[in-house]
Amino acid sequence: MDTLMAILTVFTQPQLLLLVGLGTFLGVYIGAIPGLSVTMAVSILISFTFSWDVYPAISLMVGIYMGGVYGGSRTAILLNIPGAPSAIATAMDGYPMAQRGEAGEAIGVTTVMSFFGGLVGVAVLALAAPFVAEFALTFQPRDYMLLAVLGILLVGSLSSGSLVKGIFAGAFGIAIGAVGRDPLTFAERFTFDLQIMEGGISFIAVMIGMFGISEALLQLHHVGTDAIRQQIDRIVPSWGTVRKYLPLSLQTSSIGVIIGALPGTGGDIAALMAYDHAKRVTKKPTRPFGTGAMEGLVAPETANNAAVGGAFVPMMTLGIPGDAVTAIIIGALFIHGLNPGPMLMVDQPDMFWFIVGALLTANMFILICGLTGIKLFTKIVEMPRSVLIPLIMLLSVVGAYAVNNSVTDVYWMLGFGVFGYFMRHYGYPLGPVILGVILSRLLDDNWRRAIISEREDLGRFFEGIFTSPLSLVLFVAVVLIFVSQTPLWRMIFRRKGGQTGESGK
Amino acid sequence: MKRFILGAASALVLGASGALAQDYPTKEIQGIIQWGAGGSTDTVMRSVTPHAEEILGGTVVLQNMTGAVGAIALNHVADSAADGYTLLMGAENPLLYKVMGLGERDYSAFTPVSILARGTPILVANTEAPFDDYAGMMDYIAENPGEVRFGATGPGGLPSVITGMIESVEGGLDVISVPYDGDGPALTALQGGAIDVMPAVLGASIEGIRAGNMKPLAVFDTQANDKLPDVPAVTSFNEDYNTYLPWGPFFGVFVPEGTPEDVVEKLSNAYNEAAQNPEFTELMDSRGYSIMAISGDEAEQFLTDWQQGTTWLLQDAGLTKNSPEDFGIARPGE
Amino acid sequence: MDPDFRGDSDHHDGTSDATPGGYAGQRRPGELAFALFLLAASLYLLWDAYGIAGFEALSSPGAVPMATTAAMVISALIVVLRTARLPKVATESVARDILPLKVILFGVLLLGFGLLLVPLGFLPTAALFLVVAIKYLSGRGWGFTLAVSLGSLLVIWVIFRIVFTVLMPAGIVPEAELLQFFRNLGNGGAE
Repeated sequence: MDTLMAILTVFTQPQLLLLVGLGTFLGVYIGAIPGLSVTMAVSILISFTFSWDVYPAISLMVGIYMGGVYGGSRTAILLNIPGAPSAIATAMDGYPMAQRGEAGEAIGVTTVMSFFGGLVGVAVLALAAPFVAEFALTFQPRDYMLLAVLGILLVGSLSSGSLVKGIFAGAFGIAIGAVGRDPLTFAERFTFDLQIMEGGISFIAVMIGMFGISEALLQLHHVGTDAIRQQIDRIVPSWGTVRKYLPLSLQTSSIGVIIGALPGTGGDIAALMAYDHAKRVTKKPTRPFGTGAMEGLVAPETANNAAVGGAFVPMMTLGIPGDAVTAIIIGALFIHGLNPGPMLMVDQPDMFWFIVGALLTANMFILICGLTGIKLFTKIVEMPRSVLIPLIMLLSVVGAYAVNNSVTDVYWMLGFGVFGYFMRHYGYPLGPVILGVILSRLLDDNWRRAIISEREDLGRFFEGIFTSPLSLVLFVAVVLIFVSQTPLWRMIFRRKGGQTGESGK
Repeated sequence: MKRFILGAASALVLGASGALAQDYPTKEIQGIIQWGAGGSTDTVMRSVTPHAEEILGGTVVLQNMTGAVGAIALNHVADSAADGYTLLMGAENPLLYKVMGLGERDYSAFTPVSILARGTPILVANTEAPFDDYAGMMDYIAENPGEVRFGATGPGGLPSVITGMIESVEGGLDVISVPYDGDGPALTALQGGAIDVMPAVLGASIEGIRAGNMKPLAVFDTQANDKLPDVPAVTSFNEDYNTYLPWGPFFGVFVPEGTPEDVVEKLSNAYNEAAQNPEFTELMDSRGYSIMAISGDEAEQFLTDWQQGTTWLLQDAGLTKNSPEDFGIARPGE
Repeated sequence: MDPDFRGDSDHHDGTSDATPGGYAGQRRPGELAFALFLLAASLYLLWDAYGIAGFEALSSPGAVPMATTAAMVISALIVVLRTARLPKVATESVARDILPLKVILFGVLLLGFGLLLVPLGFLPTAALFLVVAIKYLSGRGWGFTLAVSLGSLLVIWVIFRIVFTVLMPAGIVPEAELLQFFRNLGNGGAE
């Protein structure tokens, strides 16, 4: 009974309800603007809400978090510029839909599916948090490494053109991620003895450059052509549509929750993995993937919102942040006099249920905020390109700077923007670069941890893999996916043009 | 409207001529936090600064500037104008930059505004580790050389200092050192069994200990801590630790050297007073941090002692890249 | 055409990863040069990665960088060999399809933006950039140009500088003093 009361706290206090709503609303816009990140917004809120009570402060943060993760999809669909890394996969099928004038429909489906994914995340948090947290803890360095390898193999499904170019892009991304002082040994890597290189390259700057600036430069070719008129009369998807994608979204939400709950991996990786999963299991997509398949929208958007609930799992049960945002919320709880940690659920179970309630509310506000302001957003795409292009460029500069208050990041952003422009022209995919940067540390750090733990002995390393059920499952998955992308697979299972087929010949 | 234009014009003039110290602060102050959002430095600074703002009667805009173990932020603040409008909010690491080969600068290029608080190190172990206290751990390591996995956070991090201290006191330590990028991830790994033992700051592990998710082996201090009275001090196992203890990481606010004295004084008063605010002290106490709130010569002396003790400890353990001697850091007691 | 190829068949300039640029069986002007550049850069990076720690240990900080740059070299080499075999697209030229004047001009504008950002400060630089860019692209009157560019700059500045307290380089504009002035004005009004 107390539990129910705690969950309903948000609903019984209009002030809290308002704050969650306000947070979600702001979050959608923060998420939509590349360079304004949820992490940034929430850490500013710590100072801003310093003198508040803990419930209102957390309400606002939770709202912004949920709204922000969802908001990233907006610009991905409308402008082909993901507002956040977790929306990269969304752009792949969302933007082609906008090009057909179906942005309204795309946003509608995205909203409903984000809501659904968020719901699954909260449900897992509420019903199985201790169990999932315990499972997440069993991941050893070698398991994280295998997970990273699994992620890197997504290059195959992300590169619709030439696989070799995709591999190059992915490897390049991993190299970018290694630039700077190695956080484990402080050795300088790819710094060319320059001090400005020591801090490494912010991957948000890479993303903004590759997607924002290069898109703006490409659009320069089409300044004269008129913007596509968007139909926005059909926004709310029919029940039939929703039901059709229900099985897929359940699977991708599960991917989201698990990846979100693992400390060190978050919604960005979850969304890409879910996209890949959708590509594998969907026999007949609405259209081929990459040209506006609904499944390509459903998968990443359910996964990244499910990852929010997932990220709270280790945070609420163990005091271990599931991602950067929950790390800051832990700080906020601490500042407000609570002791976030494994005892929180014992000492203050109300806090746990309150957060569950707040997440639930934020999710509902996503439906409201998401299905309303669409007209305004579509107006953005219908803006004349002569104004839109300079504004995208300006926002890219500000956004890259804002990540770490660094002018160096602005230069990187511009450099990668120009580089990305050429990559696009010559058929090199950009997604694998970002994938590589995201996974670089996960792969590198955990490979080293794993091999150090086994005293540099490869024999012991593999013995470890084969004696742990979890590692074995991951290892088999890696091998299977790898083989499925090589000619060997086709020789075994008669020739059938796969999605990852080589087209450069 | 006229008043508005006049005010705007005078603001421009003020900006050009540099504000007078008695009016300080006439504009917002930038506080550059050396570590990322959600980290312990971040949390401490964000919880003390609002109190300081109140006393100061100004606005402090906090920014996280991460990268290169905090060296990026340090260089940024050191290069900005010494007018008291850019503060560095940092931890102990910069004092080790020189000997670790991470940079040419440390806090000697700064004037301390306030050393806010100090933490206590503690040795914690996975609950399934086959030993229950410090002595048991040392015995186990002696019997099983090269099997116990210690967590580390890179050269110069707290674990490396504690491990260096153990080696200086007990002789060589044959363990595997697994690097993590911070004590948070390492303590997570400890609970998952990826590492067996982790030297950490008490504040980061106290909740895990209370919940029984990790077991404390010894507090690295000369006496047991109020927060965990049942955990023995490491000096009760080996008195030789008295040479190095008490030792601990700290948090402090700094301004570039050459900042006008009255500005530093204003800032120091604000931050020292803020550090005594009951809300803040309670917060710090619950995490096992000791409030220091020192500034001026006292703070300078503290920094010098800390740097001497720690750099030579690391030097003797063979963990440094450059000798402290190269930078004129004298051996303690000399 | 390869049935798998779903590239952008109108412009061949890569709308997204799912519709990559280029042609399936031909190479665009400059494509080979770009591939060669990537190969050279990859070789240099491989050498640099070797310099991090050599073949010291499996766990050395240079191990993964070396593996990944080696993958870059191999894939870049394959791309070069394949691209070299393809016939050139007859109907395209670098000046018209890859780097038209407009793109070069914007490259220069962005470079100028980056260079002036610190010395001049964010507000003047951004205003200059927007005015020049919008005037050039839209070809509309000065009234439209100034209203749109300064108006949107103000919105962006308010969001980032005031709401999100992102301290863009102030340069020659004493932003902090002005803000304090407004703050005092606000406080004065409240008292």
